Amino acid sequence: MLGTKHKLVKSVVVGAALLGGAMTMTACSSSSSSSSKTTTVDFYNMKVEFKDQLNAAAATYNKTHKGVKVKVTSVGGGTDYQTALKAKMQSGKTPDIFALEGPQQLQTYKKYLSDVSSGKAIKKALPGTLNTVKSGSQVLGYPVLQEAIGIVYNKTIFQKAGIDASKITTMAAYENALQTLNDKKSELGIEAATAFPMKEWWVIGQHAVDPFLSQEFNGSVTKAYNAKTISWKNSDYFKQYIDATTKYSAQPVQSMDYSTQIEKLFSTGKVAMAEQGTWVYPTIESVDKNLAKNIGIIPIPVNNESAGKLPVGVTQWWAVNKQADTKTQKASRDFLDWLFTSKEGKNIVLTKLKVVPAYSGFDSSKISDPLGKDAYSYISDKKTQGLVFGGFATDWAQNGMAPELQKYVAGKESWNTAIKNSEAAWKTARAGQ
Amino acid sequence: MSKKKTWFYLFSAPVLIALFLVVLLPFFYGIFYSFTNWDGVSQSAFVGISNYINALKDPTYLASLWFTIKFSVIAIVLINVIGLGLAVLVTNKFKGANILRTIFFMPNLIGGLILGFIWQFIFVEAFSAFGKLTGIPGLGSWLATTNTGFWALVIVMVWQYSGYIMVIYISYLQGIDQSLLEAADLDGATAMQKFWQIKFPLIMPGFTVSLFMTLSNCFKLYDQNLSLTAGGPYNSTQMVAMNIYNTAFSMNKMGFAQAKAVIFFVFVAIISLTQVYLTSRKEIEA
Repeated sequence: MLGTKHKLVKSVVVGAALLGGAMTMTACSSSSSSSSKTTTVDFYNMKVEFKDQLNAAAATYNKTHKGVKVKVTSVGGGTDYQTALKAKMQSGKTPDIFALEGPQQLQTYKKYLSDVSSGKAIKKALPGTLNTVKSGSQVLGYPVLQEAIGIVYNKTIFQKAGIDASKITTMAAYENALQTLNDKKSELGIEAATAFPMKEWWVIGQHAVDPFLSQEFNGSVTKAYNAKTISWKNSDYFKQYIDATTKYSAQPVQSMDYSTQIEKLFSTGKVAMAEQGTWVYPTIESVDKNLAKNIGIIPIPVNNESAGKLPVGVTQWWAVNKQADTKTQKASRDFLDWLFTSKEGKNIVLTKLKVVPAYSGFDSSKISDPLGKDAYSYISDKKTQGLVFGGFATDWAQNGMAPELQKYVAGKESWNTAIKNSEAAWKTARAGQ
Repeated sequence: MSKKKTWFYLFSAPVLIALFLVVLLPFFYGIFYSFTNWDGVSQSAFVGISNYINALKDPTYLASLWFTIKFSVIAIVLINVIGLGLAVLVTNKFKGANILRTIFFMPNLIGGLILGFIWQFIFVEAFSAFGKLTGIPGLGSWLATTNTGFWALVIVMVWQYSGYIMVIYISYLQGIDQSLLEAADLDGATAMQKFWQIKFPLIMPGFTVSLFMTLSNCFKLYDQNLSLTAGGPYNSTQMVAMNIYNTAFSMNKMGFAQAKAVIFFVFVAIISLTQVYLTSRKEIEA
């Protein structure tokens, strides 16, 4: 009787949750008590592409470490993860390890962030990778990986067209390359020079904007986070970039999404360039292994100051829940330390997760993908500039910047209006915080 | 209390408890939060009615509200006209009427999100391929402009919902007393006369139900909106539900979003209740 009633309630709950669109989310709190002997570490992963690899890592760790059980749950990227995490926190089941994306979450989840500065891996973190998560003498998260944003290009097509990618360091050179590719379209067998997915707010509002705003904040996420206003010093360069990229892109740009850009166009060799970042490699590889071998990444050209500098930064940190008991906290730190410092763990990070590590002590020659290799050589040549989009005002990229660019490209408003509106939106967003 | 009443309460208790827990309680919680600046995680402070004032001053909210109203008016009319048309068609006796019923109803069995993604493929890939083949311009960028995005939403909504509404109209059409129609036949009424003079007035209760259902569903639409256009380009095809969701989860303004939701609730409630009142006055007993 009780059982069936419970089931009924549950199905009604599920049904109503699906129906109740505009209704609020309230918590059904339930207390969780872990068993006394084994410490369970609840790892809430945001990178879905790491799902299987992290599960395997946890399994290996659980086998060799008695008394600890690391349980990985993976939830989709971006907003979905944050929504799910909030719901988890409301229900009183805050995960022991969860992901942070920037200063905003540092603020929002303040009471859930423990100091991990005693972690073994933290001492090996590369310079600059901890800046965002430092709070006084405390460190509030493990940097997960370094990512680079730039223009991913097809080396084979570039070679055929006679373009030297290393020379594309100025806006003029970029425009020339687009022009050349466009002129030789039929000869090269491509549909267009590049593909620009303007439907994705994060591609235009975060990634495209980043190199052009980075100089204003000296490449510091924290500075960006504390900026009350922006002044768009590079607005003219940015206009050139948007104009050229949309002109020579496969059309229609307004409804093009990420998968059309990467899976349908770039991975099949129908376009020679795509503005993305190091993370696209596994996707391209899954479509065409051979094509994926001959790709590279170059910086989005801005001006002379940034010429040849690739925007690189940590885009995600793993935090350890402060509300968990000390034993679980320690177990969580131990697992992350194992992943980033032990021989086994490091091997997983390099060859399975295939990321550019944020820690010293890695054998960089083992980085297998060409984009990671390119990014790593920029890093070791010290030719990088900081990624700042993690410090943008809440919601600014999505609703303050991206729509303005879409309006400009659709011819609904002038460039100056778009820029002015985006400045105003930043100011309002900051005032509301 | 009589034994019958005890059983009544016992059996309806699970539903009532569930309803209380997942609809009523969150609803009142929501009203409470709409007066705070809650961000979804940390403690919140009471901010009076400023959320409501800001919501009514928020241009994106008002734009999405206006877009939703435009969408709903057109979608409701089309769904009901087509739904009724299909119902009249399949209640005629001909071969394959039953199969047609099933086919018309089928789109409604597919979830909104999946349906949206399927149609996104049709609009983006199939339309542009067809456009290239025939040389008709504009078919290639169906989801890229505000106007075509709007019609894409209407088309998908109508396609999904007409079959469902058809089922409701069928039940009312079949409930009509056959003797009335036979009498009309004897008096020499034409098919048109029979429809407008007899069937139409008698299925008035069907209108009350169908209009109410389409109205509330069109206004609350979220999943097709997300999967088809995601609000783009430049948030010009963003409907109210999406505006509220984004306020809550990408802007982290849970309290503000809640105030928007309450305003939206009152708005939809007033319209639906007015509609039910007006159409039920027109209902007649046969």
